[in-house]
Amino acid sequence: MSIPDPRKLPQLLYIEDSDESRALVRRLLSHKFVVLEAADPLDGLQLAEETGPNLILLDQNLPHMSGSEVATRLHKMLPDAPIVIVSADTSTGARERALAAGAVGFISKPIDDTFESLVEEYMNGRVEKLVDAEHHMQIYQQQLVERLEDNIRQLSSSAEKNRHLLQQNQRMFSMLERRHKLLETAARVGQVVTFILDLDELLKRTVDIICSEFSLYYSGVFLVSEDGEWAVLRAGYAAAGRKMIAENYRLPVNDRSMIGKAILTQQARIVSDFAGEDAQINHPYLPNTRSEVVLPLAVEARALGALTVQSDQPDGFTEEDITSLQTMADQIAIAINNAGSMRKLEAAGEELLRTKTFEAIATATGEAIHWVGNKAAPIPGSVGRLREDVVYLLALAARRDAEALENESLSAAVRTVREEAKAKGIALDAVLKELSAMKPNQAQALVSVESMFEDLDIVENSAVTILGIKEGLIGPARQRNDTAVSLNEMITNTVANMGLPADVVELEWAANMPNAQVDGPQIEQVFNNLIKNAWEALSDTPSPRIVVKGRRDEDPNYVLVTITDNGPGIPKDIQEKIWVSFFTTKAGAGGTGLGLSSVMQIVNQHGGRIALESEAGRGAMFSVRLPAEKK
Amino acid sequence: MTTVLLVDDEKLIQRSLEKTLLRAGFDVLTASDCKSGSETFAQNAASIDIAVLDLNMPGFDGNPKTGAGLDLLDDLKKQKADVPILILTAYDEVSKAKDAVSRGANAFFVKGREQGLVELIRNILDGK
Repeated sequence: MSIPDPRKLPQLLYIEDSDESRALVRRLLSHKFVVLEAADPLDGLQLAEETGPNLILLDQNLPHMSGSEVATRLHKMLPDAPIVIVSADTSTGARERALAAGAVGFISKPIDDTFESLVEEYMNGRVEKLVDAEHHMQIYQQQLVERLEDNIRQLSSSAEKNRHLLQQNQRMFSMLERRHKLLETAARVGQVVTFILDLDELLKRTVDIICSEFSLYYSGVFLVSEDGEWAVLRAGYAAAGRKMIAENYRLPVNDRSMIGKAILTQQARIVSDFAGEDAQINHPYLPNTRSEVVLPLAVEARALGALTVQSDQPDGFTEEDITSLQTMADQIAIAINNAGSMRKLEAAGEELLRTKTFEAIATATGEAIHWVGNKAAPIPGSVGRLREDVVYLLALAARRDAEALENESLSAAVRTVREEAKAKGIALDAVLKELSAMKPNQAQALVSVESMFEDLDIVENSAVTILGIKEGLIGPARQRNDTAVSLNEMITNTVANMGLPADVVELEWAANMPNAQVDGPQIEQVFNNLIKNAWEALSDTPSPRIVVKGRRDEDPNYVLVTITDNGPGIPKDIQEKIWVSFFTTKAGAGGTGLGLSSVMQIVNQHGGRIALESEAGRGAMFSVRLPAEKK
Repeated sequence: MTTVLLVDDEKLIQRSLEKTLLRAGFDVLTASDCKSGSETFAQNAASIDIAVLDLNMPGFDGNPKTGAGLDLLDDLKKQKADVPILILTAYDEVSKAKDAVSRGANAFFVKGREQGLVELIRNILDGK
């Protein structure tokens, strides 16, 4: 049999106060594991931290702490190392309590010949399932509290025995009570953490809870700036905190401040009495600080900042206080980290929105160019024809004998035609000759006054359409003039003027409907457009109905008007597109696709909102929220 | 006399092109969508010498459709395989219009300089 290379063996840590048990396990397992041993749980925790073993065996019955408590601490320290509790406890629930504490398994003593294979199974990833985990977790926590209460009871009963002991015990008692409170506070911070996502709110609440619960002098949270150079104060207790926040208090991340050191080393910094040290170190707003603990806020070995806690008493913090505060600091660090992830998520969302916006703008621009190009297309043809027609007419005009007109103005006009045509190189005589060579009906066509006016109309209509597109895109070129407007009167008039068939539109105004503070003509345009759209959507609906309702919005600063039709509805896939410029479902029917985009623009400019709810086949409802008149 | 079938849903463009073609001495029949275009062609198939079709206009179901002109192109070719067809397009859709040529159109014309359309029609008919 070859001797295995011990460097390749997995490491196993066994925390056990019985020398016999340790010797037995060493003998059983040392050919497969490097067996590390500790007789005391505190030594064991240190050894675990230093070596990071692959597997941990824990005796349940240990001095100072129970195996379960050690398991909980170890599980937090080395989340990947499986922990197995070895216990002679055969009472019901012993196994469950061990699993609730963070162990993957439970081996009953005495250690027998199944031990070795069991250890190997746990080493290879066996994890015992905890049925009804929450229940057992509660029992486990209950036990912890009971143990604490037991301690307190024991201390208080012994306190009656003798006065000297009483004083000592009272000190212990208050210490334990304080520890109890710290645990409670840690739990409260934990709760706050889970539902406050806003980082500044979270940090402010945290320092408030810490100070008010412990009657501490001051507490503050520093976060490391993005460049890593500074620790910036993000929350501070009471007036001193507010003043420092207002002054953007920050410290360089270096070893010249407690904060800087705690961040750099990721270790707690403690000063138990400033009076004994350099009293000048105190911040002017915090003159009474006598002792201070600074705890690093770190997640996965990454320092995010530091928590400072200050007392106006010397030696204001015991070892246990510091342990509890560090638990709290760890929770805060996780929350800060989560808030950071949240922000990144939001930033990613904004990025997506920007991309979408750019896409929409690019589409709208492309569409705009297409439309303008299309609308402008007939202009050159019409202008070309007009140019020819004018030349023929001028040729006819120039034919007049200027002198025979017997009116100085008229003969001057004819002379001007001749001179200017000549100056422009137009050979009117040649044009006239061309005309005279034509058949009469051909010549007539070329000087048709009707045709000329039609071409002028084509040019004018094209130009008006293009200007309309421009206006629809960049909005009406006039200043808004907001006044108190009764929307129900306005809409009632608008509907009356639209000449829709009777009984199509139904108006319903709530008694509490306030006036809107808006530009009347622009908002009239909005409702005119929406009602017109609804009516056009109803062209194939047997009994068309448009219901317009108005009332005060849930947010009392707004008036809400809804326009509902019983038409075919708007399919989901085009619901977003309808707001985009140039999107139209009415090609040929005169829609430029600018109606809803300018409606939205006008509503948004007023600080209002417009939304659509629709399902294919079930009609459509547009809801418009506009600012209510302020009284 | 040469007869042109002109199908375009943009009223102003249709009228302007019609006038240009009339002045060039053509006879012009007009329609505004695939359905009426197909019907007009069916009724005058014997006299129509060339069809000028807009690329984007209402399709056979009456709804606006990108490339509806190509559907009408297929329809007209079925009615009369050798009828010359010219596709009208906006200047930013030239690549689509080139597809039209591969589907059997004789040429495409980018809307704008209308005199160019007259020359193009004459070239197509002379080359026949």
